[in-house]
Amino acid sequence: MNELNARALARRIVTSPIRLACLAAILVISMAAPVVLSEYWLHVVTEILIFGLFAMSFNLIYGYMGQISFGHAAFFGLGAYATAITIRGELAQTGDIGWGLFLSGILVAPVIAAIAAGAIGWFCVRLTGIYFAILTLSFGELLYYVVFQWYGFTGGDDGIQGLRPPAFILATEAYYFFTLMVVVVASFVMWTITRSPFGYILRAIRENKRRASFLGINVKLYQWVNFVIAGSFAGLAGSLWGPFSRSVAPGLLGWQKSGEAVFAALIGGANYFLGPMLGAGVFTFLHAYVTKFTEYWPLTIGTVILLLVLFRPGGILSFVPDRIWAMPGTAEIKEPKDTQKKRASA
Amino acid sequence: MELGFDFIFPQLMAGMSRGMLLFLVAAGLSLIFGVMNILNFAHATFWLLGGYITYSVLTLFGPTAGISPLLVIPATLVAIAVLVLIGFAIERTLVQKMYDRDVPEQLLLTFALVLIIGDVIKLIWGVEDRSVFLGLPPVELFGQFVNLYYFVIIGVGITVFAGLHLFLHKTSFGRIVRAAVHSREMVEALGIRISTIYMVVFGIGVGLAGLAGGVVLPLTPLALGADIDLIIQCFVVVVVGGFGSIIGTFVAALLIGVTYSFAIFLWPDGALAVIFLIVIAILIVRPWGLFGTELRT
Amino acid sequence: MKKITDQKWDGILKSIDRRRFLISSAAAGVLTLTPRFVSAAAGETYNLGVLLPSTGAGANWADSAIKAINIAVADINGRGGFLGKHPIKIHYRDTHTKPDVATREGRSIILDEKVRAIVGTYSSACALALQEITHEAKVLQLASISNSAKIVGANYSSYTYEFGPNTKMMSNAIVKAVAKLAHRNKWKRYITIGQDYEWGRNIQRGFVKELAKLGPDVKLQRELWFKLGESDLGSYISGIMSLKPDFVFPAVAGKDSRTLMEQGQAMGLLKVTSLVGGQITTVELQQQKDTLPRGLVGMSRCAFFAHLDEPLMQKYIKMYRDAQGQYPTDMSCMNFDVVYGLEQGIQKAGTIDTEAVKNALKGATLKTGRGTRTFRKCDNQLNVPTYIGEVFDDPDYPFPIYNRDKMIVVEAEDVWGTCEEAEAGRKKRS
Repeated sequence: MNELNARALARRIVTSPIRLACLAAILVISMAAPVVLSEYWLHVVTEILIFGLFAMSFNLIYGYMGQISFGHAAFFGLGAYATAITIRGELAQTGDIGWGLFLSGILVAPVIAAIAAGAIGWFCVRLTGIYFAILTLSFGELLYYVVFQWYGFTGGDDGIQGLRPPAFILATEAYYFFTLMVVVVASFVMWTITRSPFGYILRAIRENKRRASFLGINVKLYQWVNFVIAGSFAGLAGSLWGPFSRSVAPGLLGWQKSGEAVFAALIGGANYFLGPMLGAGVFTFLHAYVTKFTEYWPLTIGTVILLLVLFRPGGILSFVPDRIWAMPGTAEIKEPKDTQKKRASA
Repeated sequence: MELGFDFIFPQLMAGMSRGMLLFLVAAGLSLIFGVMNILNFAHATFWLLGGYITYSVLTLFGPTAGISPLLVIPATLVAIAVLVLIGFAIERTLVQKMYDRDVPEQLLLTFALVLIIGDVIKLIWGVEDRSVFLGLPPVELFGQFVNLYYFVIIGVGITVFAGLHLFLHKTSFGRIVRAAVHSREMVEALGIRISTIYMVVFGIGVGLAGLAGGVVLPLTPLALGADIDLIIQCFVVVVVGGFGSIIGTFVAALLIGVTYSFAIFLWPDGALAVIFLIVIAILIVRPWGLFGTELRT
Repeated sequence: MKKITDQKWDGILKSIDRRRFLISSAAAGVLTLTPRFVSAAAGETYNLGVLLPSTGAGANWADSAIKAINIAVADINGRGGFLGKHPIKIHYRDTHTKPDVATREGRSIILDEKVRAIVGTYSSACALALQEITHEAKVLQLASISNSAKIVGANYSSYTYEFGPNTKMMSNAIVKAVAKLAHRNKWKRYITIGQDYEWGRNIQRGFVKELAKLGPDVKLQRELWFKLGESDLGSYISGIMSLKPDFVFPAVAGKDSRTLMEQGQAMGLLKVTSLVGGQITTVELQQQKDTLPRGLVGMSRCAFFAHLDEPLMQKYIKMYRDAQGQYPTDMSCMNFDVVYGLEQGIQKAGTIDTEAVKNALKGATLKTGRGTRTFRKCDNQLNVPTYIGEVFDDPDYPFPIYNRDKMIVVEAEDVWGTCEEAEAGRKKRS
């Protein structure tokens, strides 16, 4: 059962009719979106894709590793700024940007994010539970302040304006497809990682750290590598944000932004690979829709989250019976409740 | 930059007041976490609610500018009472369900409360900021001017600290609470209903937040969103001090308040980040905090 | 006095008020459409966006602006809308003072609600982010509270029009007054304290630069910065007091100016030094009427009491008092001008087509509450004055205003500098 084998993977997808149907549906929907949706909603979908990638990267730490990070947006924001700083020079001078510089702007983002995640992760993986949460939050806020204070380089609170994708993908539909492409490829890579032996070791660590270490697994090393991978994908998501939004601001690194990723994972279902993407969709769609009618958006989303946490912490996807989702031999381990409590303090 | 007494004394006073205010808010948070293992994200929002309620009660006595300082006391008491009741209600209906859950879910629930309560405050009170200006003249001490209200804050802070300490160590209820921290099962085995203990502790914790809100109102205008900044500082205080340790919270709050007060002059660019550097240092070197026990990690 | 005590219920009323105004303005518009059998005088609705925060440090400023916009729109709709046939529909969104929210909401109302113009924002950072969107979508951005010089300078857009004095104008204006005061009082050292965000940095920078030119012997002792919304300024104030500067320049706006003022007084700041040049707008004058020290020197952006002889200003005052029972604040005053200014632009263009209106507004001369004013062609900055005065009790009003005998009205032309930055911004856009 070598999950890493792409052929085996493909075979598994093809042999399961439900999975095939799902993938086909997703394909059709994503292609049809620009035709069916108005320009604004296409913007919303693009935002969902970027946010979803960010949330899925967060879920590598949350769902797959069992820890909650409140500083994940720092990597998203760093990625956004890395891209912004790379492309702003040429954009300011010529009003357009060449593919070469743009793509290097996109690629430099995950690298910068990875470096930051490497440094920060080294400290964070020493802790778990609430301490991990607060340490990640603190590092995130620290990075936020660095970006905020460094007026000369990052523009401080002004942010960086004038960002744009290359003329070829400037149009809403075009940028949507570009984002879709990047997100799909990135998701596939993440999926492969989660289905690899590395991914299974992460799950083992999540379930019982001590037992995993008894097996000879270097727990901290795996957690660290996972943290770096998660940070990189967050950075990649961030790189897409600047050209989309036409500007970046320090708020992208703050803990409230990190909180949005947590919401998305919770809403969609942290135990499912695509859960955070679905959650991002629901969250963003709700936000875009609700603010048309009321300014009490926090009350709305707060109530949604409250109800979800109380009654359906597994998220929306937990409504789908496991049989349909599970690939043969890869069913998620469902733990009895009292061991779950111990896990938090492990 | 002369670091003479002229500079140090007022900064120290301002820093202590700042720290004491932090302690007042964080004390309840620390208590709740210490006893029930729940990190109440909404704690600063309860603080804000307490401030708004105090304000509304004060307006019943007439215009708030130049109002008699003594009136702040009954107004705050009303706020405390209301918040204790709200605390009971929330514990019974929501928090209770979260005891068996994971840390992330508990955090999410209390974070949802931040959003909900914040908007409820907006719904009831609107967006204007609320201020109570006592108009008290500054006090001259050692040749420097000091805000008279600082003494009130420091006094209240010390009283709360002493009160909590006495409560936890000298009253039988307090002793049960401390026992529950160590072993829930044993307390239940002794025939004491742990659910009542939790409800009371949560209520007290939230009530303390209300007290802090009422006390701070004469010092600073309150506005929507003030809770968001404050809660992070509270977390830092509780982590640095050590979860579940009231003295830890006290010391950490003062430490952070005073450090900030000096940092803004000695290291202006980094002052806002200093609080995070402190907590990062503690979490790396001594995660259980200055006064916490290793057991709790 | 009675008005103040009802604060608790004010909140509910205010939140209902806004909605009521929205509904009533739309309803008023509908009701005044001529009956069908007469003619098709009713044209397409004019969708107007409003992007201002309802929470956060700027909410109390934004609030009076929103009220004014509602009143003005209801008034225009009472006449059938723009050109008598385009009823205005307001689409309000809360920016939460966050640029990415401003971006998203801006896109939402532009693409979905098809707004032709957006009135806003509060924070300059939001305004800058929004400009990218409005420029690309070819939608007018009518700024007043957000007044960073960058909006009409480095980030210039032909679709953005600034109705309030920008930070450069304001800091240049106050610098002249401060330089005079410094000369008269032989002041040598000063400290700045500011909100650490775009606007605060901008206005402080402008002030320091200009003061260095006008008063080279007046030295900046120290710069202090605090986080937007900071509730405890005690450490800053005590530090300032131990440093004993000759004066302090506050780059503070919104709720934080109240914090600074009230805590400053409680600590005796004004016994040790002078606070000059802060934003003492009609918001502060009304909100802090019992506590604001008289004689304090500050500046504002649209002082109604400076234009009592202007018929339009009298109209604003009457409308606002009828609706709200209060005098219009600076923010209300500027935003009245925004809405009526837009109306004049549309009248000049003869159509609501955005391109035509944009061209009509370019270099246009408008009737405003502050008199007849013209947009500067190179950067779309309205040539409005900055008002500098001393806090003073006036028997005509239930709150202090500026001492009208000593008030200085600094005209735009004296302080708005060259078109250099706007030219650079324009180049960047093309």
